[in-house]
Amino acid sequence: MRSCMPAIDVKNLTKTFKIHQKETGLKGSLKALFWRETIFKEAVKSASFSILEGELVGFLGPNGAGKTTLLKMLSGILYPTSGQVSVLGYTPWDRNRDYQRQFAIVMGQKNQLWWDLPPSESFLLNRDIYGINPNVFQRTIDEMVDLLDLKELLNIPVRQLSLGQRMKCELVASLLHQPRVLFLDEPTIGLDVISQEKIRSFIQEYNRLKKTTVLLTSHYMQDVEQLCKRVLVINHGGIVYDGALSALSERYVDHKVIKIRFSSAQDANPPSTLESVVEWDASHAVLKVQKKEVARITHQLLGQYAIDDLSVEEVEIEEVIRRIFEEQPPQT
Amino acid sequence: MKQTVFRYFALYLSFLSHNLKNEMIYRANFLIDICIDIFFMGVNVIFFKILYGNIETVGGWNFHQTLILVGSVGIVREMAYLTFRKGFLELGEYVRTGNFDVMLTSPVATSAHLAFRHVSLTESFGEGVMGIILVGYGFAHLDAASWIGIPFYILMLLNSLVIYYGFCLLVNSLVFWLVKSQELNTVVYYFMNTARFPREIYHGLGKGLFTFIIPSSLIATTPAAILVGRAETDIIFLSIGVAISFLTIGLLFWNWSIHFYSSASS
Repeated sequence: MRSCMPAIDVKNLTKTFKIHQKETGLKGSLKALFWRETIFKEAVKSASFSILEGELVGFLGPNGAGKTTLLKMLSGILYPTSGQVSVLGYTPWDRNRDYQRQFAIVMGQKNQLWWDLPPSESFLLNRDIYGINPNVFQRTIDEMVDLLDLKELLNIPVRQLSLGQRMKCELVASLLHQPRVLFLDEPTIGLDVISQEKIRSFIQEYNRLKKTTVLLTSHYMQDVEQLCKRVLVINHGGIVYDGALSALSERYVDHKVIKIRFSSAQDANPPSTLESVVEWDASHAVLKVQKKEVARITHQLLGQYAIDDLSVEEVEIEEVIRRIFEEQPPQT
Repeated sequence: MKQTVFRYFALYLSFLSHNLKNEMIYRANFLIDICIDIFFMGVNVIFFKILYGNIETVGGWNFHQTLILVGSVGIVREMAYLTFRKGFLELGEYVRTGNFDVMLTSPVATSAHLAFRHVSLTESFGEGVMGIILVGYGFAHLDAASWIGIPFYILMLLNSLVIYYGFCLLVNSLVFWLVKSQELNTVVYYFMNTARFPREIYHGLGKGLFTFIIPSSLIATTPAAILVGRAETDIIFLSIGVAISFLTIGLLFWNWSIHFYSSASS
C-alpha cells in the first residue's frame, strides 16, 4: 500500500555553516579584510525522522533552531554536509525535474509573486514553468479560488494586496502543480487572527482532500495544535521530540494560566489560601494552576471575589518549548 | 532534445511576455533608457569619426567597416538583454535576499531560469536600434557588399551571444562566494567594451588573452568580418569552438558553484 511508504525519509542529516566573524566598528572591518575568524555552526545535527505519505507534521522550535535549514535541504536549495534524504524516492539536492514537479515550498517571509503584476499573471507563469495542462490549471485555480475566497483579488497588482491576501495567493501559486509533498515555512507569520485562521483551515482542508504530505513550521501554537497530530521539536539543530502533540503538552505542560480582572478594588496582597499566584494587585491577577485544579480554583475564585472577567489560557508555545529545552540542555 | 528546446523556447516567450507587461508599467524609464543608449552610441561614432580623420584604417578596417563592427556590438548587447543579461545583473540581489531559492526549486535549469527571469526589451533597446542603423549604413557604403553574407552574419551574431552567455556564467559563478555581483558585472561590462575594437589590433600574448581567456575580440569581429567579406574560415571555426567551450565550461562551473549557495535565513 502506498500510504504505508514513507514519503520523507531523513537519516543523520547534518548541515554545517561556515560563518566569518567580525568585530564591531570600522577597525573591526579593516581587520576582517586581512584576517577573519571562521566559526562553524551546526545548523542541523544528525537529524533522523520519517514521514508517511499524507501525514501533516509540524516542526516546532525557536528561531535559529534549524527548521528552515532542514526544509531547504529537503527542497534541494541547500546541500547537506552529511546524511541522507529521500523524498518520494528522490534525493532533493540532485534537483531532479521529476522531483521538482512533485513538491512545493512556501516561505512566509518570501515572495515569489511578481510584485507589480496581478497574481493571475504569476499563476500563468507558473503554469508554463511547471508545464501544467491548461484545463487542469483552470480547474485547480477555480477550486482554490473557491476555497480561499480570492475571486476579486486575482486582478489587483500584488503590491496593493494585504499581507494576508498575498499569502493566500502565494499558496495558490505553489499548489498549481498539485504537489504530493508540501513544505510550509511560517505560512501564517505576521498575519492577523482571521487571516491565520483562513490559511490554517485551507491547509487542513487541502491536506484532507488531496492527501498531500505536509511539513509545517510555525511559531504559533494554534497552527500546530489545529493542524498537526504529530510534531517534531527541534532545538540547536537536533530533534529532541518526535510524537503526538497531545503527549507533548501532557508531558511538558501540567498547568494552565488563569487571568482575572476584579470588578472592585481588592487587597493588593494575594490571599494565603491561593497557591501559584504569578501576579496580584488591586485590579487584576494572574495564576498558574495545575490542569486538574483549574475547575476547583476557578470555582473558588468566582465564589470569593467580584469578578468582571476571567479567562483560562493555554501556556504559550514558547513556554512549552522552553520547558523542553530546560530538560534538554544543548550539547556543545 | 527537440522537446526540451521547444519547452525552453515556450518558457522564454512566457517570461518575455510577463516582463513586457511589467516594463509597460514604468513608461518613463523606457524613454530615458532609449535616450541614454542613443547618446552613448553617438559618442562612439564621433570617437571613430575623429580617429579615422587622421588615419585610413585601424587593423585593416576602414571607417564604414568599423561602423559595422561597432553596430554589431550594440546588436549583441540588445540580444543579450533580450535573453539573459539582466538576470545576471540582478543575481547578487537574488542571492543576498534568498530569492534565488525559487530558481533552485522550479523544474527549470537554474542557468535558464536566471537568464529568463528578467528579459528586457527596453534596457538596451536604443543601442540595438542604433546598432542596426550603423550596420545598415556601413553595409550600404561598402565597396563590395554581398547579400549572401547576411544570414551567416546573423548566425555568427547568435554564436557571439553564446560566447557572451558562457563568459557571463563563468564570471558570475563567483557570486556564491562573494555574495555581491556588482564587481563581477563590471568585469563583464569592460569585456563587452573591448569587443568594439577589431581583433587585428591584438598581437601575440594579447591576442591569446582576448581570444581564450576574455574572448571579447571574437564577439563583434567575427560577424562583422563576414558581412564586410573579409572573414577567413579559421576565424569562423575558432569562434564556434570558443563558443562551445565557454558554454560547456560555464555551465559546468555554474552547476558546481551552486553547491556553495547558502541561501538567506528567514
